Amino acid sequence: MDAAFKALSDPTRRSLLDELFARDGQTLTELEERLPMTRFGVMKHLKVLEEAGLVTTQRRGREKFHYLNSVPIQLIHDRWVSKYAEPLAATISGIKRELEEQ
Amino acid sequence: MDEYTVIDGRGTMTVFETYIKTTPERLWDAIVDPEMRAKYSFGVQTESDYTNGSSYKSSVPGVIDIAEGENLKVDPPRRLVQSFTALWSEDVKSAGSSRVTWEIEPVGSSCRLRVIHDQLPAGANSELYGGWMMILSGLKTLLETGELLDTPGSLRYAQANA
Repeated sequence: MDAAFKALSDPTRRSLLDELFARDGQTLTELEERLPMTRFGVMKHLKVLEEAGLVTTQRRGREKFHYLNSVPIQLIHDRWVSKYAEPLAATISGIKRELEEQ
Repeated sequence: MDEYTVIDGRGTMTVFETYIKTTPERLWDAIVDPEMRAKYSFGVQTESDYTNGSSYKSSVPGVIDIAEGENLKVDPPRRLVQSFTALWSEDVKSAGSSRVTWEIEPVGSSCRLRVIHDQLPAGANSELYGGWMMILSGLKTLLETGELLDTPGSLRYAQANA
């Protein structure tokens, strides 16, 4: 989980994840075209994301496709976020329901 | 990996991956055992005999049908390939049949579990594959700690089964 937090701490890496969220399964060349970065820079950040398990790859022929793997983010959510945020979210959705039913 | 679908040079597919400290055999059992499966699947029950070509059905009996399909390839404890038709709403039903592959790969004293959901129609409703990360997170927690997640989402249908 440390590796995932570390990988997420960088804004460029978060924008790479956003790119894959918008369009899953991109090649290095496609990602490089969308970001104001060198190919080497994109490769370096993708490697950190891969090591943290946030990006997985599939090879097809000569092409390597990058996929967003959201499981580590879910693990962070289940361990760190739900405990703090969900009672609040439940309260807010309860208020919303009450107001809408009036 | 070449057998995954490629549409317009890219597959319409999603990948979910996690490492779980367990053996391939225990992981396989957690996937095919109806009681274990329901524990990390929001209480949804899956019935099948898991032989090649057999069918399966996932539902909360008397409450909601979730999915059905065929076991296209059953290769314990490494690989399970299933067709997948979602049933929980008219919108997801209209997506028709897609494919779900469970891959177990031993890595040291752990296993890498990959769930690949492919053959999805272009622009598929994200509900179709959005639950896998919660299922995999719950499965990891169950196998590693013996405990169940108790986040509200993970308990969605728990009472229906009680």
